[in-house]
Parts: sequence; structure tokens; C-alpha cells
Amino acid sequence: MLAEQIANGVVVGGLYALVALGFTLVFGLLDKLNFAHGEVVTLAGFVALVAVQLGASVWLAIPIVIVVTGLSGLLIELLSFRAFTSKEGHSVSALSSFALGIVILEVVRLEYGAAPLNLAIPTTIYTSGISILGAPIPWVKLATLGISVVLMIGLHVVVGHTRLGRQIRAVGEAPTSAMLLGIHVTRVIQYVFVVASALAGISGLLIAMQGGFVSSEVGFTFALKGIAIMAIGGMGDLRGAVLAGLLIGIAEGIAIHYGLGGFSDVLVWLVMIAVLLIRPEGLLGGGRREVRA
Amino acid sequence: MTGRIVAGLEGVAKAFGGLRAVDGVSLDIPAGEVVGIIGPNGAGKTVLINLITGFYHASDGQITIADHNVTQWTLHQIGRLGVARTFQNIRLFRRLSVLENVMVANPAFTAHPLRGLLALSPRRQGRDEAMDLLALFGLADRADQSAGELAYGDARRLEIARALATRPRLLLLDEPAAGMNDRETEALVDDIRKVKPRLEAIALIEHDMSLIRALADRVVAMNYGRIIAEGATGTVLSHPKVVEAYLGQEES
Amino acid sequence: MIANLLSTENIVFTGVNILLAWSVYLTLMTGTLSFAMAAFMGIGAYVSGILTAKFGWPLVPAALVGTLACLAGGILVGFPALRVRGLYLMLVTTGVTLVVKVAIENIEYVGGVGGMGGLRGTTPELVLASVVVIGGALWLLSRTPLQRIMDAAREDENVAASLGINIVFIRVAGFAAGAALAGYAGALYGHYIIFIAPEQFDILYSVFIALYVVLGGVNNLWGPVLGAVVITMLPEVVREFGVMSSGFRSARQLIFAGALVLLLLVRPAGILAFRRLSIRAGRGRVPVGST
Ligand SMILES: Nc1ncnc2c1ncn2[C@@H]1O[C@H](COP(=O)(O)OP(=O)(O)OP(=O)(O)O)[C@@H](O)[C@H]1O
Ligand SMILES: [Mg+2]
Repeated sequence: MLAEQIANGVVVGGLYALVALGFTLVFGLLDKLNFAHGEVVTLAGFVALVAVQLGASVWLAIPIVIVVTGLSGLLIELLSFRAFTSKEGHSVSALSSFALGIVILEVVRLEYGAAPLNLAIPTTIYTSGISILGAPIPWVKLATLGISVVLMIGLHVVVGHTRLGRQIRAVGEAPTSAMLLGIHVTRVIQYVFVVASALAGISGLLIAMQGGFVSSEVGFTFALKGIAIMAIGGMGDLRGAVLAGLLIGIAEGIAIHYGLGGFSDVLVWLVMIAVLLIRPEGLLGGGRREVRA
Repeated sequence: MTGRIVAGLEGVAKAFGGLRAVDGVSLDIPAGEVVGIIGPNGAGKTVLINLITGFYHASDGQITIADHNVTQWTLHQIGRLGVARTFQNIRLFRRLSVLENVMVANPAFTAHPLRGLLALSPRRQGRDEAMDLLALFGLADRADQSAGELAYGDARRLEIARALATRPRLLLLDEPAAGMNDRETEALVDDIRKVKPRLEAIALIEHDMSLIRALADRVVAMNYGRIIAEGATGTVLSHPKVVEAYLGQEES
Repeated sequence: MIANLLSTENIVFTGVNILLAWSVYLTLMTGTLSFAMAAFMGIGAYVSGILTAKFGWPLVPAALVGTLACLAGGILVGFPALRVRGLYLMLVTTGVTLVVKVAIENIEYVGGVGGMGGLRGTTPELVLASVVVIGGALWLLSRTPLQRIMDAAREDENVAASLGINIVFIRVAGFAAGAALAGYAGALYGHYIIFIAPEQFDILYSVFIALYVVLGGVNNLWGPVLGAVVITMLPEVVREFGVMSSGFRSARQLIFAGALVLLLLVRPAGILAFRRLSIRAGRGRVPVGST
């Protein structure tokens, strides 16, 4: 059923949106591309796994994951971003964060291997749900969609309408002037990384809860899509990221319906290339940054 | 020679949002002349040069250089037509050597980069000509230094040498004496006189009126993006509007 | 032990990786960090592979056709793609690699996901000769005005343009030359491993090649060589000297990635930063240590 695939696409899109939000925060506000973001998504699943193995309930695992992944954001900022301020710094930190992502991934793999592991949570979490347009949609997927929309709105308000938000934007646009204005630049950057990484944590947790297992593959898969979706949405526009996430989810659903499953994985990248070349400021982006020559 | 127009501007305007940085400027730069452009800070002088050289595109009006309408041309097209410039905030290739900064401008290769593949010997790469230019500006013994290490005055002179290496017809100098002491400024006047015969025309932005008096055949005074006075140097410098414009704004 | 390190396989892989590192270096010289190298490697391997395996061509002409195909592909991709830059270009070229991979997966003629076999002919001698010839060409390039023009375009493209340099041409040329070299390396690689499949030309490969170059530094053409040699040989050395036996694959990447993060931290200006370049001026006196 097409309707069923579309309904599915919407909820998958919610997850894409959530991952893309993390990329968007860091890229849009600070102009930095954090490739390690995806592996924080992976990390989240395994932190949940450990917590549950140690006897924590799912509900206790949630704050644990958020705290651990949030803190990992501090480490990522320290190791892969703080030192790189030169002209080529953006590319170097992107590469460094990619390498750091591999470190996180391989540490996980050394400990737990490459195969997916069962996450011992009540199966009702990912089975019980309702039927929408003929598609059985588990509550946890609906919750994912709701969470990404709520977080998007919340972040949008914080960034656009609070003192911290103003500081963040000031740091992103002109770090030196921000410093002269008395803003603690490093602190502000750390906030952004912590929040973005906690977002990755929430995404990873929800992915694990949707499937009932954790896998070291998810981070890479979702990161690739998340980055492309960020670009489609406007490279810094939180609303754009969510909108693009949902659109891509639906488009993939439609592609699968017409038997183009293999094609659905690059669909998002084709769209991204087209968007970057035709309208580099993205679907909703205001085009603040100099993208072109 | 005189009488022919090297560069002509007709009603040229450039707006940044609401600000009309250049607002309907018409101006001819005739062959054989040094045109001085003066005006208080923010008058639009640098924007005007950016328009002539293609760094900005005019929102209105037409720019003609050597009988070509270049209003929409790109940077390198205008560069190849023989327009060269220096920058108010020096823009050398800091990580290249002083000599390389001049050699890189050799029009034999900028226009046909792949031809450069066949020029392996320094002589064929135009090193000797580049060294001559450096010598002319007193930079010969700094040839191997990296351009980023140069003192202010040297850096300004290297920019002029680099511009000349393109063998331009029109040279646009944006405050070439800024940051120089009196002795250096005097030397600069001599240098510019020396290279004048190589060029069809020079446009010279300067706040230092001694330089303008020494070099300019004609002066254009700007304020708020418009020309407020134009003519012989002495007349323009004492024109009431010009005096007022400079008095109205604290000189830096 | 040393003899083992100089096995045919190690020589071929190291040589191919040197060529790939140079392909990134070539592109980077014009200020472009490209993640499309795996895609061009794949195109080079497949195009030459079709000619040898299906039409019985000898390897060298087939590899040259593969190279030309990548040169054309580089121009075709470069023209639109190089309108964006920096991190955006990183994303676009990532997209190119992913799209090319899926495209190959869907071409039945070359075996789709299953891959294509029967590619033979790469010898260690051919690889070594290629490295020497291409290295020599790059060395000559570094002494020409073209090199200087590329340096200037990278340092300040607007100023370079106003000197009369066509920046788009320079950037596309650098991108296409890098693509061609990656294609040639891909052809050699494919004809050594005999059987090629789309998954071998994955985005991870692209990123790793860029990392080779970053690791070695790009101040001159030996940096990428160093990076490629270290990265290819490191795991072999580790294996030879028995430091690690189990979890080997994982540990290799872990060591590599960890070392990279640390190394970049030690050189915060970024190893990508081009140091003084007057070494290339050909005047003799070489000033040292400005950064
Ligand atoms: N890229 C730009 N965007 C927005 N405004 C600009 C831009 N460039 C120049 N301006 C504005 O245009 C006006 C004219 O600037 P311009 O640099 O031409 O002044 P100037 O005459 O060269 O002054 P000075 O003597 O200080 O160099 C100024 O108000 C300046 O702020
Ligand atoms: Mg000015």
C-alpha cells in the first residue's frame, strides 16, 4: 500500500530529522561539520545496552544515555575542534572528527563485535501501537516523530529568542568580536556540542528502542542521511532540517513502494547535490553564508 | 595620446541594501593622465575601484574600458584587458615568496596556465623581468623572503610591482602611501613617476594630499558616493564643498 | 621479516595508495578537498576492466582509457560542483561517491552488486614504474608557473583572478587531473585484485585517502607518499612483529584513527595548511621554518 509506505516514511523521517537536527545545530550555528556525530548515535545504543545489562530500567537508561552522550560532546569539541582555527581549520576539524568517530566506533566494536546485539527491553515498547492509513505504527515511532518536532521547536525558540541563543549566534558569526563583547566563546561552543551530542544520544536511544537491538552500523547509516538532510534543509535552519527529514522519509517510502528500494538510499544524496547546486542556501535557509565563489 | 579614454564610467551606482555606496558616478580616465580620487572616509572611493576591477558588479550604469563594455565582466576578464590594482588592506600571497608574487602575475601564463607546463627554466618563467621590477621598487634583496614577512611599506611596494607585472594599461592604486613615513612617501612618488610611462593611465586614491599634489594631473573629489568636485588639482583641493566635506568629518 | 613486508601485495597496495594520495594532493593544490576519489577509482577500474575482461585489451591502454574517462568525468562533475566550496564541496563530493557506487550496483552489464571478475595484468613493476613516472611529472609540475598559479589561486582566489587567472579553469583542471589519477590508480588496483565490486569503492575509502594525505602533510609531494606508505605498511608491520593477533582489522583502524586525531592536535595549524612555498621558486636559497 502506498499510503502505508507514506505513513512509514513519515515516522522514519522523524528519526532522520532528529539526527539532522544535531548536525544542523553545530553546522548552522558554528559553521563546523561534526562527522563524529553519527558515532555518538551508535554510542548511545551501547550505553543503553550496558545500562540495561547492569539492571537499569528503560526509563532510567534514558537519562543515563543523555548524560553520557552529552559529555561525549565535550570530548569531541576538545579533541577535534578547539585547536583548529586556521583558514583550513574547517576541513581539518571535519577530518579529525571523522577519525574520532572511527575511534569511538572501533572501541565499541573491540568490546562488542560488529554484529547487532539484543537490547533486553520489554517487547511491547516496539510492538504495541496503532494503525495509521493501514500501517501498524508502534508508539515509539510516533513518539520519535513527536520528540523531534518538540525538540526542533524548543531549540528554535532557544536559539532565536534567548540570551544564550544570541550569544551562540554571535559566536558563530564572528568569534573574535563575540570574545571582545565579553562572551565566553569556548563555553558557548561547548554548550552547542553538548546539546547536539545529547540529541545524537536521544536519536540513538530511540533507534535502539524502535528495533529492540543495538548495532554499530546505525551511526554511519544515519549520519550519512542526517548530513544530507541538513544540507537539503538549509545548512543551519532547524525547521528546514525537520521538514527535509520528513520529506526524505516520505520520498523513500514512495521509492520503496515502486520497487526502487536500492535507489532509496542515494535518493537523499541526489536531492542534496541538486539542492546544493541549484539553491545552495537550502529549502528554507536564508543564505547567510558564502557558499559560492 | 591624450584625449583617448582608457576607462569611462557612466552613471555607475552600487547599493548595499539601503546604502548607496556609489551613487551615479560618471567619470572619464583619459590616456596619459594620473587621476587623483579623494574624499573623506566612507565616501565610496574603494567601492568605485572594486567596481572598475570587477570585484563588485554595478547595480546601475555602465563601465567601459578600452572600448569594451565591461560592466558585467568577471575579475579575470577585466584583469586580462589590462586593469591592475593594489588594495587598501594589502592582499599579497603571503605564503609565496616576494619574487613569486611578481612572477605569478606574468601574463604569458595567467592567460594560458597550461602553457606554463612547458616553461621549466626560471628564465622562461620570466624571472629576470620580475627581478627587474623588484629592483625598481628596492625589493631585490628581499626576493626570497615570504611576502607575509614584509614590513608595511615594502608590502605596499610589492603590491604595485605585482600589479605592474601584469603589464596593465590602467593601474588603480588604493591609498598606496597609507602607513608610510614621509621619506617612504617621497620615494613612492619617484617610483610612480618612473613607471608612469609604462601605463596608459593611473587612478590614485589617497588621503595624503602631498602625494596627490605631486602626482595627479586631475582630481575627483567624492562624498556620500557622489562626485562633489572635479578638475585641476589646486582648484579641487580648495573647492568649498571639498573643504567642507573634509571638515565635516574628522580625518583619520 | 623485511622480505615479507616487501611482498608483491604490499608493493602493489602501497604504490596504488601513493597514486591515490597524489590524486588528493593534486586536487588539494587548487584548494579543493574532494571525497569523490573512490568514485573515480571505481570508474577507472570498471572502464578499464570492461576493456580487458570483456574485449581482451591489454592492461595499459585499457587503464589509459579509464584514466581519460575519469578526466572527462572530473570535468563534468567539477564544473557544476566547484561552484560550492569548503565543507559544502566535501558534501557534494561525498554524494558523488555514494551515487556512483549505487549506479554501478544497478548496471547488470558489469555484474551489479555481485561485481565483475577476470581483471588481470597489474604487476609490481608496472605499479612501481607508474609511481616513478607520475611522481617525476608532479615534481616537474612543482617547478612550473602553473604550480605558482595554483598556489596563488588557493591563497586568495579573488586577487589571483584579478591578475587574469581564470579560477574556475584552474580549479576544474586540478579536480579533473586528480580524478584522472584516481582513475588510473583504480585501474591498477582492479587488475591486481582480479575481482571488483561496487562496495570496494565506498565513501570510507575516499575519506581514508584524504586522511593519508592529511597524515603525511601536503607541503610537497613527499608528504602524501609518507602518509600512504605508513598507513599501508603499519598494519603489516604490526602483524609481522606480532603485536596484535586478534581483533586485527578493528585494531588497525583504531590505531590509525587515534593516531590521526592526536597528530592533528600536535599540529593545530592543520597539516592541510600549506607552509612557505618558495622552495619551488627555483632560486636556490631555501628559507626554513616560518611557521
Ligand atoms: N561589501 C560591502 N558591504 C556593505 N557595505 C559596504 C561594503 N563595502 C563598502 N561598504 C560601505 O560603502 C561605503 C563606502 O565605502 P568605501 O570603502 O568605498 O569608502 P572609502 O571612500 O574607500 O573610505 P576610506 O577612505 O575609509 O577607505 C562605506 O559606508 C562602507 O561601509
Ligand atoms: Mg577605501
